[in-house]
Amino acid sequence: MLWKKMIRDILSNKGSYVACLVIVIIGLIVFTAFSIVSDSLNLSKDTFYREQNFAQGFVELVSMPEHNVERLSRVEGIKEISGRVVREVRVNAPEREESIYLRLVSLDLSDSSRVNDVRLLEGEELKDRELNAWVDNQFFHANELEMGQEIEVVAGGRAREITITGMGMSPEFTYPLRTQTELFPNPEQFGIAFLPLDTMAALFPDVQGRVNDLVFTLEPDADFDRVKDRLEPELEQYGLKTIYSRDDQVSHLMLTEEITMLETLSTSFPLLFLSIAGVILYIMLKRMVEQQRGQIGILKALGYSDKEIVFHYLSYALTVGAVGGLLGGFLGILSATPLTELMLEFFNVPEVYEGFSLYYLMSGLLLSLTVFLISGYHGCKQALRLKPAEAMRPPAPVLGTKNILEKIGFFSEMLTIQGKMAVRNLTRNKGRSAFMFLGIMLSCAVVALTWSFNDLVDKMIFYQYEEVEVYDARVTLSGPDARDPVERELEGHTEVARVEPIAEVPVTLSHHWQEEDVSLIGITRESSLYNILDSEGRRVIPSDKGLILSERLADKLNVSVGSTLELESPFLRDEDSSQRVSVYEIIPQYLGMNAYMELSGLEELLGQGKLATSFLVNVNNNENKEGGISLLRDRYRESELVAGVDGREERIGQAAELMETFGVALYIYVLVGVIIGFSIIYSSSFIIVSERSRELASMRVLGMTSREVFSVITFEQWFLSFFAMLAALPLAQLMQQGLASELSTDMYILPGELSSESLFAAAVITSLSIWIAQRFALKKVRDLSLVEVLKFEE
Amino acid sequence: MSTELIAAKNLKKRYQMGEVTVYALKGVDFTLYDGELVVMLGPSGSGKSTLLNIIGGMDQATEGELYFGDKGLHEVGDRELTLYRRNEVGFIFQFYNLMPNLTAFENINLSVQIAQDPLEIDGLLEQVGLGDRRDHFPSQLSGGEQQRVAIARALAKNPRMLLCDEPTGALDLPTGIQVLKLLRDFCENYHKTVVIITHNTAIAEMADRVVYLKDGMVDRIEKNAHPLPPEKVTW
Ligand SMILES: Nc1ncnc2c1ncn2[C@@H]1O[C@H](COP(=O)(O)OP(=O)(O)OP(=O)(O)O)[C@@H](O)[C@H]1O
Ligand SMILES: [Mg+2]
Repeated sequence: MLWKKMIRDILSNKGSYVACLVIVIIGLIVFTAFSIVSDSLNLSKDTFYREQNFAQGFVELVSMPEHNVERLSRVEGIKEISGRVVREVRVNAPEREESIYLRLVSLDLSDSSRVNDVRLLEGEELKDRELNAWVDNQFFHANELEMGQEIEVVAGGRAREITITGMGMSPEFTYPLRTQTELFPNPEQFGIAFLPLDTMAALFPDVQGRVNDLVFTLEPDADFDRVKDRLEPELEQYGLKTIYSRDDQVSHLMLTEEITMLETLSTSFPLLFLSIAGVILYIMLKRMVEQQRGQIGILKALGYSDKEIVFHYLSYALTVGAVGGLLGGFLGILSATPLTELMLEFFNVPEVYEGFSLYYLMSGLLLSLTVFLISGYHGCKQALRLKPAEAMRPPAPVLGTKNILEKIGFFSEMLTIQGKMAVRNLTRNKGRSAFMFLGIMLSCAVVALTWSFNDLVDKMIFYQYEEVEVYDARVTLSGPDARDPVERELEGHTEVARVEPIAEVPVTLSHHWQEEDVSLIGITRESSLYNILDSEGRRVIPSDKGLILSERLADKLNVSVGSTLELESPFLRDEDSSQRVSVYEIIPQYLGMNAYMELSGLEELLGQGKLATSFLVNVNNNENKEGGISLLRDRYRESELVAGVDGREERIGQAAELMETFGVALYIYVLVGVIIGFSIIYSSSFIIVSERSRELASMRVLGMTSREVFSVITFEQWFLSFFAMLAALPLAQLMQQGLASELSTDMYILPGELSSESLFAAAVITSLSIWIAQRFALKKVRDLSLVEVLKFEE
Repeated sequence: MSTELIAAKNLKKRYQMGEVTVYALKGVDFTLYDGELVVMLGPSGSGKSTLLNIIGGMDQATEGELYFGDKGLHEVGDRELTLYRRNEVGFIFQFYNLMPNLTAFENINLSVQIAQDPLEIDGLLEQVGLGDRRDHFPSQLSGGEQQRVAIARALAKNPRMLLCDEPTGALDLPTGIQVLKLLRDFCENYHKTVVIITHNTAIAEMADRVVYLKDGMVDRIEKNAHPLPPEKVTW
């Protein structure tokens, strides 16, 4: 019988229960889906790493004889080591506007236990001494390649045709980025090709019998830093550039960060949602028990035990918990597969699906039942305390009081009678007001944060490409000797308006025991194509005496303007020596982490002659810049001196396009904020309407319209929401700062301030969701049957 | 006889409860005049409250016509009904239905705010004998005092008629008489119409007319040539 009562009670108040249920379901979808996805990714990653023997250490050097690699495997702590040749080449594809690059990585076919082995997905084994290659699957698919197709690359100054005989994937390139300033892989324009070691030697005569890259795995208990220390002296003579561990490997770093983020989200997000649902249910049950005092009294008088009565009220909570838990769990499992697929669009790891997970379904159900058991029990425990006789008496009357707000004289003067009721209602149920306040605050903060995040990423890209790097194209040189001839040529072209040399030099900067590997950028004093800007957006003229550092770099090195740094570089004339150089200025930088210097000062510092790694170019003819850039590209398609021509517009376009896919995730967060705000106002309005139906009906009888009556409730809610939204500002600011320091990496730095548009947007969006939620409750006031409500005694 | 205020013609009220149809009113013809005091009597379930609610614009009949002057209340929408309640009708219930978090003064003010030609609040409070309880909340007042605030709240709008559903139902004799006296005074001093539903036949003695309802129909209507003053009524 009591089951029937429960079902009817729930049905007669379905709005609030549905709101509660929706929140539980969303929470549990995220829980199961994200848990499964992060498990799948972890599993794929681990299997992939194990099966392909993924390296734990990476070495870049100028050149060393291949037969010396074998000797290095005897270094204590190293298990296996492979020597490779890694070179980047340009693909000759005249039909394509943009430049396409391939990173060629050699595979030693004679080595049976290769480190960073490639998993062949399709195609056949590589053959020695033939111009054949495997390409990575993303590049293969993005460019719609076919097996046996030949691609033409410019290698060693000659156009060569390489036959694609296979397609595979490597743990080293799960998130392949060509340069440091890129945020996303771009498989259409950048891919990896794996070739036999001999073939590499055939393509590049200068690497005959030599390697320029080492990858190694460690003995189980070896410590990377020790191994690094042992390796360094061995490699010094071969022009060692850098040794880093797996933790600093870009693809690995991005992949593990993503998995960690998913794991964090899969717990924190559902907990937030379940707590909100729990509080709503707690409030609803508490109110219902208060309202049903009489019924409880009768049940007790009839001889129902306390246990039975509490169980009856708990059954409301458990029903919601069970329905929400199961529905959310199933939907979560359903969405796990598409979500994993989405993640695999970004990360190139083999798919290992964990389709149906009973474990997460059950733990999700258990989680939601536990939350509701707790909130339900607290909501209805007062039913226990009621004595039957007491229960049938009406509750102690509401003791109306004036509250603190009204003691402020002028404020009280301003209020209408409805306003007074609303203000007093705020303190009538303090717990509920506090919950509403916190909910709106959170909702508003989440929206502000998300919006701001979106804004900031946009701004970051805009800043980098519209303010800092304002050139139309970058012409990358293939070697140091190319500088003079290319510069002369470029200046001779009619489409070229301005040419500036730029040098990017890998350096190690150290200050006491802090040490950072960065790229030092040398630009001319009068450069107008690459602007170094200070925090106020003013141009900083590079100095030939000292370095300009990005804020993050300065922080990491723990230096300020005037400090002296130690500089080492493979570009130094005497490679084993180091130079001392002072810090001239510190500037904000959002994409990448660099140091800057005036070009001739840099040349002098390194003891080099004229230095440049690329030229920045502005083309004539503002209306048709694209035409100018593609003309330039055509000129250098086959050039030995030029490694590539990059148009700026394409890079902005790509960044913007990829931002859009990320934007989807951000909209989901906005939606989350809206749902929180909406459901809180929605359920609290419903509760208030049913709790105060008698008061509301009396006002209707007096001749007030539904709208006038409802304004008492809305005034109360807006009043609270206004202050909640004000309080959301510092909260969002705090969250932004936390998030910025959490998510910033050496590749991109997120600013810690909220954008002002986002605050406005958050206020508007939150208000809108409050307003819409109120429309539903208004309908409930309209439908209030005056005759029925007033018939019974309170 | 004075002018007609309300005219009901063949009013029917039907409740559909699944298979069963309940007729609360089965065709009521009834006229209410300006300035009279009417008492409605009848057994429980005879349709008294239903009729009063329809007259007061709280509810609408399923069939039949209801005129306020020449306005057909049976054919207007929710907005017009609200306006009618706001400007012409004052309701008083057995349970006082005051706003628990407004003081006596503020409760009355609630209706003054929406009225076109309201009466003065402090004067009304004096009249109902609660001048010194102005700033008290309902929980600080007795039942009788709360009912007097409710009456003052209904009167404050200065309505054409006052409709009372068992106004003394929860009160003891002396308190009940106080309330009835207020209603009688209002009727006489301001020349307003008052309808009182009661189970107490003694109260009928103070009415100008007594309407007997039975089984959803008007059974009979009696006229009192000499209504008793409320003080003389005993039960
Ligand atoms: N909402 C409703 N649904 C179904 N039937 C109803 C409803 N409201 C009233 N009734 C029926 O209408 C009839 C008249 O009810 P009404 O409340 O008018 O009686 P009453 O004369 O005021 O009785 P009492 O003196 O007990 O207050 C009753 O038989 C009642 O059962
Ligand atoms: Mg009745």
